[in-house]
Amino acid sequence: MNLLEVNGLCKQYSGFVLDNVSFSLEPGYIMGFIGRNGAGKTTTIKSMLNLIKKDGGEVYINGLPFDKNETECKRQIGFITGGFDCYKKSTLKKLTSVTRRFYDDYNDGLYREYMTRFNLDENKKVSELSAGMRVKYALTLALCHNAKLLIFDEPTSGLDPVSRDDLLDIFRSVISDGQRSILFSTHIISDLEKCADFITYIKNGKLIASQDVTSFCEGYRLVSGDGAALSGRERYVVGHKSNAFGFTALIKTEDADKFADCRTAPADLESIMIYTEQED
Amino acid sequence: MKNLLYKEFSLCLPVQVPIFLLFSFFILIPNYPYLVAGFFICNAIFYSFVQASADNDPLFSLLLPVSKADTVKGKMIFVVLIQLVSLVIFAAVSLLSHAMGKGANDAGTDASLTLLGGYLLVFSVFNLSYIPHYFKSPHTAGKRFLVSAVFMFGFMILFEGFMIAAKPLSEVVPFFSLVETYLDVFPTGGAVWIAQAVFFAVCAAIYAVLNIVCVKKAVKSFETSEV
Repeated sequence: MNLLEVNGLCKQYSGFVLDNVSFSLEPGYIMGFIGRNGAGKTTTIKSMLNLIKKDGGEVYINGLPFDKNETECKRQIGFITGGFDCYKKSTLKKLTSVTRRFYDDYNDGLYREYMTRFNLDENKKVSELSAGMRVKYALTLALCHNAKLLIFDEPTSGLDPVSRDDLLDIFRSVISDGQRSILFSTHIISDLEKCADFITYIKNGKLIASQDVTSFCEGYRLVSGDGAALSGRERYVVGHKSNAFGFTALIKTEDADKFADCRTAPADLESIMIYTEQED
Repeated sequence: MKNLLYKEFSLCLPVQVPIFLLFSFFILIPNYPYLVAGFFICNAIFYSFVQASADNDPLFSLLLPVSKADTVKGKMIFVVLIQLVSLVIFAAVSLLSHAMGKGANDAGTDASLTLLGGYLLVFSVFNLSYIPHYFKSPHTAGKRFLVSAVFMFGFMILFEGFMIAAKPLSEVVPFFSLVETYLDVFPTGGAVWIAQAVFFAVCAAIYAVLNIVCVKKAVKSFETSEV
């Protein structure tokens, strides 16, 4: 059974439409949720969690429809934003004492274990924590109430490379029991290449792809050649960059035979996103 | 709901609330519009909303396993508890004022059950004019209080003005002599007690009904707000 299933999610603002976004995630995996700033990642997540009112679509958490089982679904979710900025003047101890009351299966032993592992001092105030430590604290709270689905909205934004790498290692260890999954929104593609099993890619509110990272990357090729080689074949190109020495273009693998005379190379996530976003 | 109230009192109770409760001692000041003390209680509650907004309380609350409707109800019960505690203190200070032998109040309603009913009406005006708007747009919590304050002061001027006007008007309009005799005095006799108890009960009923309306409006606002 899917831990998360999103069907036809829609939300309309003046100047932006989240258009019929659907994807799903099984237990035991990390899904990267990618797109440029303003593509609709946060809108999708907030609509999923009823933080903003969606205009259409359904969300299921572990098989339960979210709209009809909001409380139970929330028990199974840990939502962590990159800039956890709630109650900055409160101590972690106070926030924990409030939060734990809402969860019947809150595990205090696990809380102590993660606080020690993440080197968190519960007498500190939220404002005294670095961005990375705030994410770790929010993660600790989520893990202690046995959240099955962890949703991170840009958790690595503003973190230094070492902290980011550390966090990604934690992500891998969190899902290692095969019971939990992580949906992880970011525009830092290198983070996904280190840890994501699946990606969901949205652009201007529309779903571009939702599949495993390997097959997604295998669906594209980078081709390069001299400037003249591109002419007449522009319609097969997803995006390209040209300079005095020639061009590099992203094409779909199914069109690779049209570029048999060019140099081809596998495309990575970052290249796919860069050239796809260049399309317009 | 118990957990939501624990959250409210642990995280959303600013220092202004206990401090502003001390404004109930205004009732000991001779010749003062005592209804203003009710405004200060609402002011303290307003601070709790502003602080909650600054602390991102709507987001924090909605990430807990509670529905939007329960989040609103939890906040409403928190507000009502503060208002009822202040009412008890007002009542105690009113008794103290009478025990101290303080005379009639020429600047507004006397310390009485009528005054306590008036406080409930001030609280109703605040709750209805402020709380639904807070849940519609938590980030404009500050601006909205200005509108709410205009409503509250408008009501207080009407209420206190009515009580002040009752004395001179009682000589020409018999109805005002009833107000002067039964409502705008500290209750000592049986008939005055009954009259004021009825007035207080009516105010309490209005407070209860308007709070229910307030919750319904606030839930509706919160359902469509962007957290």
